[in-house]
Amino acid sequence: MTIKMSSRVAQALTATGAALTLASPFLAWTWTAAYPGNLTLNGYPGGSQVVTLVTGLLATMFAAAAFGVPGVRRLAPAGAVRALRAASLAALTTTWVTVAAIAITLGGAVNVEPGGWLAAVAVLLLATGAHALADDTAESPPKGVRLPWAVEVALITVVFLAAMFVLTYGITTDSAEDFLAFLPAAGFGARALSVAGVTRRISEINARHRVAVAALASALVFPFTQTGDQYTAIADNILVFAAVALGLNIVVGLVGLLDLGYVAFLGTGAYSAALVSGSTFSTFHIAPWPFWATALLGMGVSLLAGLIIGAPTLRLHGDYLAIVTLGFGEIFRITVNNLDGTSGPSLTNGPNGINAIPDIELFGFDFGAPHTILGVSFGRFANYYLLLLAVIAVIVFVYARAGDSRVGRAWIALREDEKAATAMGIEGFRFKLLAFGLGASLAGLAGTVMAHLQTNAVPDNYKFADTAPPNSAFLLAAVVLGGMGTISGPLVGAALLYLIPAKFEFFNRYQMMLFGLALIVMMRFRPEGLVPDRKHQLEFHDEQVSGAEARQVAAEATV
Amino acid sequence: MTFTDFLQLLTDGLVLGSMYGLIAVGYTMVYGILQIINFAHGEIFMLGGFGALFAYAWVPALHEISLWAALPVMLVVGVLVSVTAAVAAERFTYRPLRNAPRLAPLITAIGLSLFLQQVVFNFFTLPGESMGITAPVPFPQLDGGPLRLGGVTVSYAAILTLVVAAGAMTGLTYFVGRTRTGRAMQATAQDPKTARLMGIDTDRVIVVAFAVGAVLAAVACLTQGLRLGSISYNMGFIAGLKGFTAAVLGGIGNIRGAMLGGVVLGVAESLASGLLPHLPSLQMFGGSVWKDVWAFVILIVVLLIRPQGLLGERIADRA
Repeated sequence: MTIKMSSRVAQALTATGAALTLASPFLAWTWTAAYPGNLTLNGYPGGSQVVTLVTGLLATMFAAAAFGVPGVRRLAPAGAVRALRAASLAALTTTWVTVAAIAITLGGAVNVEPGGWLAAVAVLLLATGAHALADDTAESPPKGVRLPWAVEVALITVVFLAAMFVLTYGITTDSAEDFLAFLPAAGFGARALSVAGVTRRISEINARHRVAVAALASALVFPFTQTGDQYTAIADNILVFAAVALGLNIVVGLVGLLDLGYVAFLGTGAYSAALVSGSTFSTFHIAPWPFWATALLGMGVSLLAGLIIGAPTLRLHGDYLAIVTLGFGEIFRITVNNLDGTSGPSLTNGPNGINAIPDIELFGFDFGAPHTILGVSFGRFANYYLLLLAVIAVIVFVYARAGDSRVGRAWIALREDEKAATAMGIEGFRFKLLAFGLGASLAGLAGTVMAHLQTNAVPDNYKFADTAPPNSAFLLAAVVLGGMGTISGPLVGAALLYLIPAKFEFFNRYQMMLFGLALIVMMRFRPEGLVPDRKHQLEFHDEQVSGAEARQVAAEATV
Repeated sequence: MTFTDFLQLLTDGLVLGSMYGLIAVGYTMVYGILQIINFAHGEIFMLGGFGALFAYAWVPALHEISLWAALPVMLVVGVLVSVTAAVAAERFTYRPLRNAPRLAPLITAIGLSLFLQQVVFNFFTLPGESMGITAPVPFPQLDGGPLRLGGVTVSYAAILTLVVAAGAMTGLTYFVGRTRTGRAMQATAQDPKTARLMGIDTDRVIVVAFAVGAVLAAVACLTQGLRLGSISYNMGFIAGLKGFTAAVLGGIGNIRGAMLGGVVLGVAESLASGLLPHLPSLQMFGGSVWKDVWAFVILIVVLLIRPQGLLGERIADRA
């Protein structure tokens, strides 16, 4: 969308809008501290004002790049105007959401102070100006310059830290209003970076150095920023969800097998861990197994379950797998619900589940007790956070290495065209079973940690669809929404799908309905997900891609 | 366990299986033509029951007359709701994805299934109650106690299920085999491209397949409501799973196979939950809580031994 206007006026509007947007958070937006985040102070931005400030800064940066300010121009290699537009929309949506929320929650527009009105007008000026500027999208973005190794690694680390900071802000918002203001800002902000070519440049640098370590290091920072356990617990749940989604991504994203009962493998792992945990509710009254043995057991039992389900079905057409896994997921829940000694053999304690699972003790490190590292006290959830990061690191490692190997190429070939792949000598069944088993055992591993983290294993945690993750439908949605076949996609998807229900408790009743609708709309308009795999994107939108771009991607794929 | 008990189990299984068969036809017809699993079919089934109940609850005149007289009205409304939902689903969600990769329609179907389920959960309202439902909703019951034939007890609703299923299958056989639209459907299932070249409006044929499946599903749900006395917004999940299992069991794409698969599945389920408690080592796995597990085990066994299903032929994948 563009607005017709002389370029002088457009530039003036943009500049005025940007300046006012930057100034407005320093004024009071409302008179009472009843609105979350305290927006009443002059000279000190609080709550959602910070989001407006950050998006305003982003817009100012891209505006400077669009006006050709020397040096800044390099921040938007693929063209600054579209990035500026997205950034201005980020500022517009977040500010208007906040101003509207002030008016609604406090009961009337009269509660908005002049600062709030100024902000609302400023972002509108900014967005109008940005959409009136002439598009300067580069036909083919210039090749990025190589910087010294240390600089590039430092750059990546800073980027990951910034991303982590944004995510942390989202996790720690303590009101629906703040989260509602955060969400569109994060979305449009990410879009701005993407159209500016920044995301592409970063992933190029990332690919050169394989600095997964940098990502891990920035994730490690999170518990140091937390004083209580409240938000670390949320982060833990996101990590469990993300770990399982990543495992599912091997099965769905790389091999294209639709597994609709994946949560059952998580449950298998959790129940295996619960049974040997030494809990008094467990049928086996034994001394607790060491965690490494538990983890191996959970993986082994899940692997076995995966092979039993996969072996008969993977020889057949893919749709059979979908229905058999759907059935298996349901059967798992029914089974653990009934192995209670009255309606079935005694094993899982029925609907009550196995409770009071003790904390993990690994090589003398008690995960239940607080520890002090570098002067920061690590509580129980922070300990599990570290363990879950390690689990995710393992899964990402397996995913990346398998994906880049001969096996991974066979998987992708099977996903793209099974007949052609078989004709080229790839044994479809063997590779599919391998992926299915691998996916199952990774879910089992996550399950063992989950059982200890939640201190229980109950059947209702492992449904096909429910209002809170993880369940099979949400897992699949995390993969699809995030982007099939990528590593960051399921992570983003899992974080979003965990936070949205958790922060918006008020639409609990409508949550599943909107969620179903989102799946339908997503498949219709953006089937490749939020973080698309380049190959998938070409596959889904082949009519919109130029031949040159397709050749470039093909060339990248063969390198 | 007497022989009469055994006959009772067989009868119950036959009734249950007829209902499964009615659901299975919807899966098999859509799959035969489009090669997609319409996961939302279970919800189309559920909507039929709620449509019928809606008519009964909101039209006071229906309470004055016998339920037998009210049934046709309920059936028409239920069928209308199901067919509308199925046709709309085809038009707005499946059709745009017809050339998309295989995963896309499957995921759409799951979304659709959740969506339809939740629409009923959130918005179905009975007179004098607040909007939305949480628990299963009571369904009106036919008057008159169960019939006793020999030692076997059969309810009127069960007999109705058998009669309706037989009637529906006869009608469907006639429709697919003898009418122009039915033969166009067969042609499209065999080879959509050639069928189109021969002047068949394949889009219309696909809509008809969805609609016919929805009609039978709505009928099935009505009979289930009459038999069990209540319907619930999430009943479509297990019913759909069973219906699909029946379709695979009979040979997916084969309409007669779907009915046969339904009956086999129903009888097997009934026998498993009725007979196993009498076997010394397996008695713990008897009873109704395990019947879904046995249905699933049967599916796995069939896929292992005869993946093309009971009546299916091994057909090459269509490229």
